[in-house]
Amino acid sequence: MNLLWLSALACNGNAHSLLNYPQLESWMEGFEWLYHPLFPSRYSYPEIEAGVGGCEILLIDGTLEEGMSRNRRPFAELLERYGREAKFVVTVGTCATFGGIFREGGEGRQGVHFHGEERRKRYDDLWPKTVSLPGCPVQPEVLAGTLSALASGAPLPLDEMRRPKYFYAYTVHDGCSRNEYFEYKIEEHRFGELEGCMFYDHGCQGPYTRGSCNRVLWNGVSSKTRAGQPCMGCSEPDFPAVGLWQTSKNMGIPARMPLGVSRRAYLTLAGMAKAFRFERFETPMMEPGEERLPGEEREGS
Amino acid sequence: MTELRLIEKIEGEAQVLYRFDKEERVSDAQIRFLNSRGIERILEGREPWDALAINPRVCGICGHAHLIATVRALEACYPSLRISPKAEAIRELTLSFELLQNHFKWFYLTIWPLLFPDERRIREATEPSRVVGEMIALVAGKYPHSSYALPGGISSDPTPVDLLGISERLRSVGRHFARSVIDAKPELFTRCERIEEMLSKEGDLPRVMREIMERGWERLGRSFDRFLVLGGGGLFVSGKSHATRIREHLDLRYLEEEPIEGSKALRVRYRRKSYEAGPLARAMLLRTPLILEAHRRYGDSLFSRILARVCEIPRLLLYTEELLGRIDLSEPSWIDPGELPGRAEGVGRIEAARGSLLHRVRIEEGKIARYQIVTPTQWNLGSGPVEEPGVAQKALLGLRREDPLELVFKSFDVCSVCTTH
Repeated sequence: MNLLWLSALACNGNAHSLLNYPQLESWMEGFEWLYHPLFPSRYSYPEIEAGVGGCEILLIDGTLEEGMSRNRRPFAELLERYGREAKFVVTVGTCATFGGIFREGGEGRQGVHFHGEERRKRYDDLWPKTVSLPGCPVQPEVLAGTLSALASGAPLPLDEMRRPKYFYAYTVHDGCSRNEYFEYKIEEHRFGELEGCMFYDHGCQGPYTRGSCNRVLWNGVSSKTRAGQPCMGCSEPDFPAVGLWQTSKNMGIPARMPLGVSRRAYLTLAGMAKAFRFERFETPMMEPGEERLPGEEREGS
Repeated sequence: MTELRLIEKIEGEAQVLYRFDKEERVSDAQIRFLNSRGIERILEGREPWDALAINPRVCGICGHAHLIATVRALEACYPSLRISPKAEAIRELTLSFELLQNHFKWFYLTIWPLLFPDERRIREATEPSRVVGEMIALVAGKYPHSSYALPGGISSDPTPVDLLGISERLRSVGRHFARSVIDAKPELFTRCERIEEMLSKEGDLPRVMREIMERGWERLGRSFDRFLVLGGGGLFVSGKSHATRIREHLDLRYLEEEPIEGSKALRVRYRRKSYEAGPLARAMLLRTPLILEAHRRYGDSLFSRILARVCEIPRLLLYTEELLGRIDLSEPSWIDPGELPGRAEGVGRIEAARGSLLHRVRIEEGKIARYQIVTPTQWNLGSGPVEEPGVAQKALLGLRREDPLELVFKSFDVCSVCTTH
C-alpha cells in the first residue's frame, strides 16, 4: 500500500519512534512511501506539493496551524487534496489527533479533528475515514500494527474518538509493575525506587489514560512508570496538563479517579484497604536476604 | 540570479535562497526555517519540573539532550543539591547513547543517499538505532521522550541485570559499526592519524570518503575554521578554537541570539563571531589525531566534518563502555534536592549530537518566567547579511552551481525542528 506522511508542526518523534519497530524491514515490504520525513521516498516534498497520485493512506503528524506552509503550498491544501484521495487518514501522535503540546504555542492551532476534547469540524469530511493514534510519540507497534491492519482489511474496531480498541481499550495502568501498591493503597513513593505507586502524590495519570504503554512495552523493554516516572497522560486530549509531577487532591484524595470508577466506590475500596497493614509492601523488594551463593562474602564474617 | 531551493529530510526542511554571480558561483545563501512551535512561550508560567516533560518534545531525535540540558538548568537553581556519581554517570550514558543513534541515522539516511542514491542503506541505520533505543529505555523507561532525569538524580533504580543488558547491546552496536561502517577496532580511532590507514579499511565510511575524494570535493565547504564546545565535563572538552589554537575560557555573556530576516530561527554568535558547533568542533578541542590530520590537509571542509562525525561513534562506544564499568549501583538514584526557591536562574549546557546545546531558565514566584533554548543548528545554520555570514552560509559561498551544495549543507547535520523550537 502507498503511504504518504505529511508533518505539520511536529518534533519528528513519531517518525523516529516508527524506526524503532523491531520488524521494520519485514513490515516495510508491504508498503511504499510516497513521502516520508526521514526515509528516501518516491517523491520529493516539492513534487508532493505539485501533486502526485496514488495516495492510499495519508498519515498526518504534528499540530495544524492556520495558514501554515512547510515550503510553498498551504499545508491545508495538501491535507484536503490527499485526504480526499486517500482510503484512510491516520492522525499519528497526540499533536495531529488532539493538538498536543504545541497547541498552546500559537493561534489557530488544532489537531485534525480535535482541539483538546473539543471536536473541530473543518475537516469533517475526513472523519469517517480517520483512525486516531494519539501518543507522544505513538508506540511503533501501534502505528505499524494499525497500518498493517488497514492494509490487510482486517477488522479494526474503533472507539468514539476513532482510536483502535486493540491498543486504546487498555489504560496505561494495565501492566504497570507498581500495581500492587495501587491495589492496596500504599501511598508512599520516593523517586529512584522500585517500590511505590505514583498515583497518590506524584501525578501519575496511568489509571485514567488510554494506551498500551505497560502492555506493549516501550522499546520492547520498559515503560515510564516502570522507570519511576509518572504517566503524564500524553495520549489524552488534554495533554499536557499543568503540574505533571504532582497529584491534585480534594481533601487528601486524588482529584481524578481511575477510568470508570466513581469517587464513592474508590473511597469505599480505599478505606477498606487502609484498614490493613501489608508487611510485604512495606519492605524493599530487593532487600538483601540471608541466602548466599557459594563464595559470596558474609557481612561481619 | 537568485534561486530558492528546498532542503528536506533534515528533521524538517530549510529553504536556501541562493544568489549566483556571473561566473555561476554562490555569492549569497540565505537560509530560512519556516515554522516555529513556540516552545519557549509554552513553558512560560508553568511549573519548573514540567519543563522535563515538555522539552524532550523539542525534537524527536535529540530530545534526550534537551532533557539533560533541562535538568542541569533546573538543578542550578537549587541552593544545595547533590546527585550521586551513579546518577551522573547514568545520565551521561543515556546522553551518549542518543548521540550514537543520531550519527548512524545521519550517515546512512542523510549522507549516503546523496552519494549512492541507488544503493539503499536503511537497516544499517535503523538496526543499531533501535538497539540504542532499548539501551536508553532500560534505565529511562522509554525512548523517544523520557523524563527520567529530574533534580536530585534519576527516577529509576537500575539493577546489575539492567546494566548487563545495556553492555550486551552496546557490544552489538559495536558489531554493527564494524560490519557496515568500517572494519576497524574502536581503539584505532583514538590514536590513528593517517587518513590512508582509514581509507584502506573495508566499510561504508572509507567508501564515502574515497568517493568524495574521487569527485574532487574534499576541500569544499570550508567556513570560518572557528570551533566552539560548550558542554565539556564528560567525554568532551569545552572551549573554543581558531584552527588549532585552543582557548578553554568561555564567557556566556558573549553569547548573543539575533533574529534572521524571513526565518523563524535565531542566529547565535559569540562576541559577534560565528562558530561551528558539533563533532568537528569537539574533535578539534579533543585534538583527535585523525581529524587533526584531515583538518591539516583539507581545513574545515565537508571531508573533515563528515569524518569527524562518524569517528565520534567509536569514541562514544569506548567512553560508554568505560562509564558502565565504573557505576556503583549501591549509590542512591535520587537524593531529595529540597525546595526550589521562588526566584532563581540556572543554565544547563551539554553536547548534543549536532553540537552544543544551552538551556537557561529563570524562575519567578515559583514558576518559569522565561526559558531560553539555544541549539547547535542555530550556531551552524544561522545566517545573516553576506558581509557577516553564518557558518554554513560561509561554507556555501564561492561554490559553483555544479558543486555538491546539498552535501555541504547536510554535512552540518541540520535539525530544523530544534533550530526554531
